[in-house]
Amino acid sequence: MSFNPLEEAGMPVEDQLRSWSQLDVEPYDKRDVHPHTRTRVILMNGIEVESIIFSHQFHRMTDNLEIMQALALQRRLDQQQQRAVNGLNPGDQSPLETTIGYEQVAVDLTAWLARTEPNPAVKQALDFGLLEDFDHLYRYANLYDLLDGKAAAELTGHLTEITPGRPTVVEHRHPYDDLNGHVSTHTADPLTRLHVMTIVAAEQQTMNYYMNHSSEFVEPIARGLYDEIATIEEQHVTHYGSLIDPLDSWLKQLVFHKYNEVYMYWSMSTDEVDDRIRSIWDLHLEMELGQLQVAADLLRRYEGVEAAEILPPSLPDVPVRFETNKEYVRSVLESQIDLRKDGFDYVDVDDLPDDHRYFEYQAKVNRGGAPSEQVIEQRVGGNGTDVRDESEGEHPVADLRQPAAAG
Amino acid sequence: MTTLTPTRATGATTKASHALLAEPPYAVDDEALGAPFEGTGVNGAFVADLLSAALTHERCGTHLYRSVAGRTANPVLRARYEEFGRETERHVELLEDAIAAIGGDPQYVSPIARAVQGMDTSLLESTFRLDGTADVMVREMVMLDAVLLAETTDHANWANLAQLCEDLPDGEVREVLSRAVREVGPQEDEHLRWASDTKAKMTRLQASSPTMAKVGAKAEEMVATVKEWFS
Repeated sequence: MSFNPLEEAGMPVEDQLRSWSQLDVEPYDKRDVHPHTRTRVILMNGIEVESIIFSHQFHRMTDNLEIMQALALQRRLDQQQQRAVNGLNPGDQSPLETTIGYEQVAVDLTAWLARTEPNPAVKQALDFGLLEDFDHLYRYANLYDLLDGKAAAELTGHLTEITPGRPTVVEHRHPYDDLNGHVSTHTADPLTRLHVMTIVAAEQQTMNYYMNHSSEFVEPIARGLYDEIATIEEQHVTHYGSLIDPLDSWLKQLVFHKYNEVYMYWSMSTDEVDDRIRSIWDLHLEMELGQLQVAADLLRRYEGVEAAEILPPSLPDVPVRFETNKEYVRSVLESQIDLRKDGFDYVDVDDLPDDHRYFEYQAKVNRGGAPSEQVIEQRVGGNGTDVRDESEGEHPVADLRQPAAAG
Repeated sequence: MTTLTPTRATGATTKASHALLAEPPYAVDDEALGAPFEGTGVNGAFVADLLSAALTHERCGTHLYRSVAGRTANPVLRARYEEFGRETERHVELLEDAIAAIGGDPQYVSPIARAVQGMDTSLLESTFRLDGTADVMVREMVMLDAVLLAETTDHANWANLAQLCEDLPDGEVREVLSRAVREVGPQEDEHLRWASDTKAKMTRLQASSPTMAKVGAKAEEMVATVKEWFS
């Protein structure tokens, strides 16, 4: 069914403010929550945080009172939405358990976006990041077992495999090699724009989460692993952020942000299995429709541009969907495990010259060992094997199979 | 119907590069861009890029006029902005038709057109982004300055096109472009002359206005003064 958000009035912004008690949402039960409900909560928290951060950046670039007031109001409303969404995470879900959820988001979101992405270069960027986040899930799953003696697969519900990806230790690259070319705001498929904005928000939230939680751990191996992976997430924010066309004005970017939030709440509502949580997605969808109207009005009055000029006639009919992507991830593992970045290009590691900055950077940051390797060594040292959840058979890459299965 | 913002939905194309990710059929190359100009002796790909830039400036000009017409407090200025806005949108139509008539693609957005859009976006943003520190008279001056700058570029663009027409051999390309130049040229002369003269008038009005001499003059007094300009 065709859905044009511009034709929906949504909830007027002046009616959106909620009381503390309304924001005091009941958390889900971590023992029986659907793993993909958890991932939806994590993702939408990141979408709201990005909206708030963007709004802060925008308002620092203007002293136009009307625009500043509109941004301030939307920011407060987005902040309330963020509180309501993030409040769904229960207090008895440890940061490490939430982290497992973050990496399940990273894997199943990135895989879905890559599978449905129309631009081949953007798909390549997603595939490249996918294998790196996939490895993070494996490293954290081993840390979870080491620290808490628990199985990460209980959290992922066996919907996402847990096994090595492109090893984290080789993911560290010179910052110049995180950059990419960007799409054209004129020719980009609307879905591409939404995909890029969504993955940037998700990676940014993951980066911030790891950067802030690493110091909460006592164990050096945990602190080290969080710090190491937080750095890769920063690489990913750069990697995906550089795909965005810088040509668009601040007000156009505001409209695109609001449009993406509409798209994302609509997507989350489409597949949500928890009726109570779906009602939150639906409420926020109504709110974002109202906020989109405000952004469109600012664009019309200040830039003379109708939002309909820059937005598609209807929302893409493909929602962002959390589902199992095991076969897809395996196919990318098999074909792209050895890829590295060289400027904007993706090349086989064997094709990099010996004096490439990648190797110099690797030597610097990995001098003295990498926590992502040490966590596996500790797990294998204590238990004889690492933690995996390979429901679809042995690892598709021979070098990454468990020693007992290698052959 | 004219296109004011080329997008995937309108059939936009661009020139892909290492830095700009566009896939076929939305990416075009110099060979295809230059094809309509074969046999004319000009660098066809360059001219296609130039026409795209001129068209983009007209498109941005239409947005500029819509914006300032909606925000000016002066009825005389508003009427002029609305009139010039209509004429500028007509220029978009003429250029689109001319590009299509010679076998080009009016939905093509060249690298220089992207740069033009960047400049024009900054120009338009400058008319409202710092409103907080501008009183109503300053806002009017800034909007008129933006119009003057935009029209100066516009005037130069059409003068360049007129020159290009003179350099082209007789034929359809020359005829089509010349026709557009003949219709638009006088209007561009008028737009630039009006913007330049009006800026001079507004400057003199404010320099001699007692309202401006009062530090902290009330906003409503200023609005009233602006409304009465040119009356």
